[in-house]
Amino acid sequence: MVRKFLAIVLVLLVVAVFGAVKISVLCSPDNADALKWLAGEFMKQNPDIQVEIVPLSWEVLYPKLLQDLRSQAGSFEAFTYDVMTTGAVSFGLEDLGEFMKKYASLLPADFDIDDFIPQVLEESGKWQGKLIGLPFYNNTMLFYYRRDLFEDPKLKQAFKEKYGRELTLPVTWEEVKEIAEFFTKKFNKNSPTEYGIALMFPRTHTLFYMYLLFFGEYRNAPLGIMKHGAADLEYGEYFTADHKPAFNSEEGLKALEMMKKLMPYSPDPLGSDYGETIEYFNQGLVAMVPQWTGPYLIFKSTIGTDKVGIIPMPGRSVSGQWALAINKFIPEDKKVAAFKFITFATSKWADKQKFLRFAVAPARMSTLKDPEVRAADPRVPALEVTYVSQTHRPRIPEEPRLEDITVETFSKILAGTLPLSMDTLNDLAKKWQEVLGK
Amino acid sequence: MKNKRLVPWLMVLPVLVLFLSMTIYPFAFMIWSSFRQYDLSKGAETRFIGLANYFQIFSDSTAIESFKFTAKLLAVAVPTELLLGIGIAFLIRGVRGEKIIRSSLLVPMMVPAAVSGVAWKMLYNYAFGPVNWFLSLFGISKISWLGDMNYAQLGIILIDVWQWTPFVFLMIYAGLQSVPQDLIDAARVDGADWGRVFLHVEFPLLRPLILVALVLRIIDCLKTFDIVFMTTWGGPGAATHTYSFYVYKVGISFGWNIGYASALSVLLLLVSMLLVNIVFRLVRMRQQLGFGGEER
Repeated sequence: MVRKFLAIVLVLLVVAVFGAVKISVLCSPDNADALKWLAGEFMKQNPDIQVEIVPLSWEVLYPKLLQDLRSQAGSFEAFTYDVMTTGAVSFGLEDLGEFMKKYASLLPADFDIDDFIPQVLEESGKWQGKLIGLPFYNNTMLFYYRRDLFEDPKLKQAFKEKYGRELTLPVTWEEVKEIAEFFTKKFNKNSPTEYGIALMFPRTHTLFYMYLLFFGEYRNAPLGIMKHGAADLEYGEYFTADHKPAFNSEEGLKALEMMKKLMPYSPDPLGSDYGETIEYFNQGLVAMVPQWTGPYLIFKSTIGTDKVGIIPMPGRSVSGQWALAINKFIPEDKKVAAFKFITFATSKWADKQKFLRFAVAPARMSTLKDPEVRAADPRVPALEVTYVSQTHRPRIPEEPRLEDITVETFSKILAGTLPLSMDTLNDLAKKWQEVLGK
Repeated sequence: MKNKRLVPWLMVLPVLVLFLSMTIYPFAFMIWSSFRQYDLSKGAETRFIGLANYFQIFSDSTAIESFKFTAKLLAVAVPTELLLGIGIAFLIRGVRGEKIIRSSLLVPMMVPAAVSGVAWKMLYNYAFGPVNWFLSLFGISKISWLGDMNYAQLGIILIDVWQWTPFVFLMIYAGLQSVPQDLIDAARVDGADWGRVFLHVEFPLLRPLILVALVLRIIDCLKTFDIVFMTTWGGPGAATHTYSFYVYKVGISFGWNIGYASALSVLLLLVSMLLVNIVFRLVRMRQQLGFGGEER
């Protein structure tokens, strides 16, 4: 009897394991927890599909995607891609628009493509008119500050005495500079924090997007738009409307000048990256920090919701979206399974759940409007404003190379080994033209 | 008879196939790619461009800076590791707790590069790092170990010395165990102090080992990649770009420019061979001039 029972269990297990379609989903660590949970929920509803989530670090994920797609090896079925790598990986992505027409019946009941925030769907989901990805993690940068310090009457009084104005929440980088100075012990011995602001200007890709927080303010101001034209979602703010470098301009210089001006109020800006700046804010070393949406959970649990304030980025924010896509070079049955999973993971229900449970920023309008979401998370008002005003990095295939040469030059300018001059920026623009083959 | 002749070939065949596919083929592919325009971000097609990739190296400022920092690392870290490794091997001999010290000294070499990179990043942390805390005890103000051009270079050199001195130590220590005790005793009977014993007995016997350690460290140093990847990512600017790290960036991380990365790799190979040859030639020259013992 027992033997029979065990044999049946064994057969069922074999059927479950070998009968199911197995798909691997490569993702960045930021997306992993939410995707793992969603995969679990998905498999409960779809026992015939096995989903394996494989987190890879940012540095490894992009080369792995490019290598596998170019060689058409098909070693994974679906993946998350960073918005700026859209152009580079687009050739290997399934046309989801066509797929949706072909398999309309497979879409979840609450999957409404028109519910995605239009700019987000356009930027992270589309490439040259085709729908190649579904927005998953609508990441952007926010400005975190110590609310308890900004609301302290004694500090407010001291600030007014020193600067002749109220200690208000900053809307420009000039205002940030003043407040950062006030909160830096070296310049104000009564400051409750050692430094005013935690900035991350390391040699990694971080510096490439950090620059846009500053450049965006001047580039997207009326005068900047008059000179450079409006930026499009393919080339972003680094370029003019006719796709020439825009940073070798007065606006570009101003951005770097402002970054340099802020450096004395920050602990080790050239040697600090994502992890370090989070830690500086978390440990009470600084009063302000520009950061991505994710670290809010850390700040909330260590500093406390009552002490952490969130506002849109002074100047401009920068988008850092991740979308889910399907590998073009895999068999049809795997494509169908992957399609079912990525539409499930980006459905209305999933969008809300991943934000509430894992703080993965929402990509759908219905989530932002949801009363439960609004009551649960103080970032929502800041996110709404940011999504329509943020800047964008280039999405063209040459982006990684442009990024590397730019970060090297900017890093040298900030370190003082290259002069902060128009000549330096013109030299960089020339290198860009070489890479772009113009 | 015919079968008997085939047997040896059949026995070495697996190794031969492995060697051809894992070593010879990639090597030949690298040489072939270095003469072609081969950029995976633009497509899988390749085109013969002669020596263009090689000429590009000499006008690539980052490649030149990477080469300079690698040379600096080689010039500072390798001699320091040799001196420290030899010194420690001699010093711990006969000391109480020699076995424990010996085992502890090997730890840095056994720690995976990813782990040591993360650990050193924390040690070098500007605000909370133990290194700056320790220096503050002597009144030294905080140092930006990863954000200042000069200190970042020093930081990388220190990590390399920390990680690879144990390797030199291990080789020399093992060599010292094989020095015949009767030779040392004979020298002592003749009135030689420890310095003379070292200079005239132990050092000449250890010279081949030191030479091997030097050559291995040169080759390894030219390949330094992991600690830069884990700590500074080559910055600030290009201050801590090692040559291998730059090859990785061109070939994989930021470029997928396989052709150019191959040309850079071929150059690295040539430089390695040249340096190793120079070391061997210098040793031979010393022997011919009568400064050293017989070649072993």
